Amino acid sequence: MAERVVVTGIGIISALGTGMQAHVTALRNKQSGVKPISLLKTRYANDFVLGEIRMTSDELSAYAGLPVGDNGHTRTALLSLAAMKDLLEHVDIELLRAEPFAFINANTVGGMSKMEDIYMDVLRPDTKQENIKYIDTLDCAESTERVVNFYNLKPFTATISTACSSSSNSFILGARMIKQGIVKRAVVGGGDALSRFTLNGFYSLKNVDKNLCKPFDQNRLGLNLGEGAGFCLLELESDAKARGANIIAVLSGYANTNDAYHPTAPSPTGEGAYRTMQEALAMAGLETKDISYINAHGTATQNNDAAEGLAIQKLFGTNPPPFSSTKPFTGHTLAAAGVIEGIFSMLALQEQMIIPNMNFETRMEELAIQPATELVENAGLQHVLSNSFGFGGSNVSLIFSKP
Amino acid sequence: MTMQPLYIISACSITAQDTYNRENFLNPVRSIDDGRLFVIDPDYTKYINPVAIRRMSRMLKRGITAGMRSLDEAGIKTPDGIIVGTSRGSVTDMEIFLHELIELDEQALNPAGFIQSTYNSVNGWLAMLSKCTGYNQTYVHRGFTLELCLFDAMLMLSEAKEKKHLLAGAFDELTPEYFTIRTKINYYKEQLPNSLNLYKHDDSTGSIGGEGAHFFTVSNDPANATSSLRSLAMLQKPTVAELQAGIDNILKENNLDKEDIDVLVCGMNGDSRTRSLVDTAINNCSANTTVVNFKHLGGEYDTASGFGLWLADHLCRTQLIPSEVTCKVGTSASVKNILFCNTTIMGNVSLMVVTSVN
Repeated sequence: MAERVVVTGIGIISALGTGMQAHVTALRNKQSGVKPISLLKTRYANDFVLGEIRMTSDELSAYAGLPVGDNGHTRTALLSLAAMKDLLEHVDIELLRAEPFAFINANTVGGMSKMEDIYMDVLRPDTKQENIKYIDTLDCAESTERVVNFYNLKPFTATISTACSSSSNSFILGARMIKQGIVKRAVVGGGDALSRFTLNGFYSLKNVDKNLCKPFDQNRLGLNLGEGAGFCLLELESDAKARGANIIAVLSGYANTNDAYHPTAPSPTGEGAYRTMQEALAMAGLETKDISYINAHGTATQNNDAAEGLAIQKLFGTNPPPFSSTKPFTGHTLAAAGVIEGIFSMLALQEQMIIPNMNFETRMEELAIQPATELVENAGLQHVLSNSFGFGGSNVSLIFSKP
Repeated sequence: MTMQPLYIISACSITAQDTYNRENFLNPVRSIDDGRLFVIDPDYTKYINPVAIRRMSRMLKRGITAGMRSLDEAGIKTPDGIIVGTSRGSVTDMEIFLHELIELDEQALNPAGFIQSTYNSVNGWLAMLSKCTGYNQTYVHRGFTLELCLFDAMLMLSEAKEKKHLLAGAFDELTPEYFTIRTKINYYKEQLPNSLNLYKHDDSTGSIGGEGAHFFTVSNDPANATSSLRSLAMLQKPTVAELQAGIDNILKENNLDKEDIDVLVCGMNGDSRTRSLVDTAINNCSANTTVVNFKHLGGEYDTASGFGLWLADHLCRTQLIPSEVTCKVGTSASVKNILFCNTTIMGNVSLMVVTSVN
């Protein structure tokens, strides 16, 4: 059996705050970060709730160590820099300079959060000087390059974009490269900032609930969007032990499959999600009874929760391990969802707690199962499954195990 | 560590020349004076049904068609995985949705542009049409986008214990608005030359615009292969010395001397900022080596290296080097070993060794 890949560092920023501790506290106290809109400039400012990070771009710049004002960094790049800063508070940066490492970022709309404000000016012959700085920030690799350059690193770099499963895919690429001996370590994750573009995109698809989202509830009306970023350090277990690193969790299984069914909707029977979870279990050498908690994708859209719920029921039976969606805490953070919920899964292992599925009231008609609604402490968790599914039929499952 | 070579079973490129039909793709040679080499759109109804095609943007049709044709030519119905790259996805769709958002003030928007501008939408369609429920991945990393797809494919075939076929490719789209935006960051030349004269203007910054879709069916099984991608290196903004070291390294990895290189496929783009890098690559050639280039035919864009890899494979297939791509004639009589050096506007360089498979 190949040597295990472990997680030895975590950096995170979301509507719940910055850093692991803020997240543990909020999750434990059922404090949601999804609130009325305070920062996003939209005509729906009084209509929707969002998982916003309550720091302006200037505040984020200051936190990341950049000059405030028009510094050419989009909010997407700033969130990525903030998550990296948090990671580097726990990981010696020299470790990333000493040996070959990969920096694998993920993103869905690049610097759209800025570009949608300045696009018409950018097209004019006399674009304002302050906007020129942002002119080429729409592509997804922008935030990747910004992080690498800010910290003066020279890694193998990659940016992935598979919609809402994007940063889960970063974990898979990083682990594969480490196992093949191409790099010693990998920083994996992703980030997305809120934009009118994505809010209106999902709204035009009738996928947004104006009130708090209700994953796995019969009366769910759609998702709440959020923003955030997260990065994790991956390395071989033997390398982590040799340097005396604190091992947070083992990445014991992963799978990436495709529904091959529809451009945006999952197969209604949950076939794709079922197969993905099954493949991840097989890779980890685990059986369904070994999984002690499932951090579901649970967007609270009609399609996702029906397909994912059926898939969980089909694979785990009518008495599955406790499962919950943590999106009522953070909103759906798109490219960041995979890494943020992967971190929540590791947090659940570390704190031995089952994170509740908030806002749930009524079991779905088509299901005999329902999510965990109460916080459970001393939960005896050994292996946690984390799902991320996206447009384009993209399915990813990750399994994190107690070290 | 050595990775599994990628055997290229088929290659399909949709570019500003008639590469889609391959035979006589340079007859006639298309050239332009406005700095925008838009592709020749083939008949898209061959691989997409008439109901679906009506709602599709041209980039979606183009990516799907290039991918499906590559599988078709390889005789593969369902690949084991699909790995696609795009620096900017369907730019037209993004523009449509963004303009509507601004002009309609966030009201009554049509979601089509939003959905189709999602970077992995071509991935999803290719999976549906080829019924591929396996590995599916999308890379979006500027000038290394196609390279990351090829790298992932190599990694996957190195991990594989059995024979596998993967569909790997990349696409990007040029639009008038995107051209305007990139002109402001000196991506394109201020004085646009005729595309065929691009290299005569390498004393100024920038290049000419282009677009394309390039897909390759690759395998760890050499059966039916025309060429193999043996090594791949991505050099981030290398100095001349770093590029030289990179070239030395990739040749050594493959036990090749300079004299063994029959063809250098050079991604020269006429940008004065990358001239020293291009010169470095050319200086590595021996008298045997024929130097060819392609950006005067397809333009510069983040996934333009797809045209270069298509051309490398094409030269292996045909063993003929068209004069329209040749900038220096070497003495070697056959096309066996090819060094492909792609330089981008941002100064990144990718290196590939491609060898013909008989």
